[in-house]
Amino acid sequence: MKLYVYCLAEGVDRLHKSPRGVAGTSVQIVKFEDLSALVSVCRSEAFRVTRKNALAHHEVVQSITKQTTPLPARFGTLVTVQQLQNYVSTHRLAIKAKLAQVRGRTEMNVRMIETITGTDASYESKNENGLGPGTAFLLEKRKKILRDEADVAQKKQLSAWLHEKLGELIKEEKISVVSSETVILAKADHLIERADVQKYRTRMARAIEERPEIRFMVSGPWPPYSFANIELEFSRQFGVT
Amino acid sequence: MSDFDQILVGEEWENTDLSLLETLDHVLNRGLVIAGEITIAVADIDLIFVGLNVMVSSVETAQEVLRKRQMTE
Repeated sequence: MKLYVYCLAEGVDRLHKSPRGVAGTSVQIVKFEDLSALVSVCRSEAFRVTRKNALAHHEVVQSITKQTTPLPARFGTLVTVQQLQNYVSTHRLAIKAKLAQVRGRTEMNVRMIETITGTDASYESKNENGLGPGTAFLLEKRKKILRDEADVAQKKQLSAWLHEKLGELIKEEKISVVSSETVILAKADHLIERADVQKYRTRMARAIEERPEIRFMVSGPWPPYSFANIELEFSRQFGVT
Repeated sequence: MSDFDQILVGEEWENTDLSLLETLDHVLNRGLVIAGEITIAVADIDLIFVGLNVMVSSVETAQEVLRKRQMTE
C-alpha cells in the first residue's frame, strides 16, 4: 500500500470539504505531530498523467488553501507510510521554515513573450555555408554563449522592471528567461500576500500598457507550487543532501 | 476550474486552454519533491509532452491563438 501525497500543511486536523483525489480516490489526513499530509491511499504503483488526474491533484491542493497555505507536492508523489514519515522527520525544520515563508501568501505568475524583429548581428556569421564541421560547431557554441549572456542580462532587466512596477508586493521572486533567435520567453513567479492579489493585478495591468511590444499573461492566485521545493535550501542550510 | 481562471492579459487569450496548461505546468513541473518519489505513467503523449515542455508549449499555444485571432479580425 502506498500514499499519494498532495501537499504538506500545518495546523490541519480535519478537512472541511475536499474534492475527490486522483483516480477518484478519497483524500485523508496523515498527521506527524503538528504537520499534516493530505494523501490518498493507493494500490497502484503509478498514476497516469491525464487531464482529469492533474486537475484532481490541483483541486485537492487548492481546497486546503481556504484553511492554510500548504506546500504542494509534485504530481505523482507516491510513497510508503514509512518513507513519508522519514521524509517529514528528517526535513521537519526545513518544512516548517518553508511553511512559515509561504504563510498567508499566494503565488502569481507572469509570462512574457517578445518577438525579436530584425537580426542581431552578434548571433550571426556572414559565411556559415561551406564551413567545416569543427568551425560550424564552434560557431554554434559561440551563439549559445552569446544567447546565454543575453538571457542573464534580460533576467536582470526584467527583475528590475518588475520590482519597479510591483515594489513591496513582491515577497519572493523566481525568474527564468529562455531565448531563441526569434523570440524571448520569460517567466516570473512571485510570492505575494494573499490580501495583495487585487493590487498586484492592477499594477500589472498598468505595467502591461507600458510595454505593447511584449505579450503578457498573468495568472493566479495559485498555491505556492514554485516556492515549495525545499531540497535546495535544505542542502544549503542544513548541510544534508 | 478554480479562481486561477482569472487571467489578466495584454490581449484576450483563450482562457480555458491556457488555464489547463498553466495548471499542468504547476502540477507537473513544480512543487515539493519528496525523496525523488515521482511516479507517473504515460497516458497520452500530448500531455506528457506538455508536462515536459509546458513553458514552450504554453507560449506556442498562446501565439497560435493570437495568430488565429489576428487572421479573423
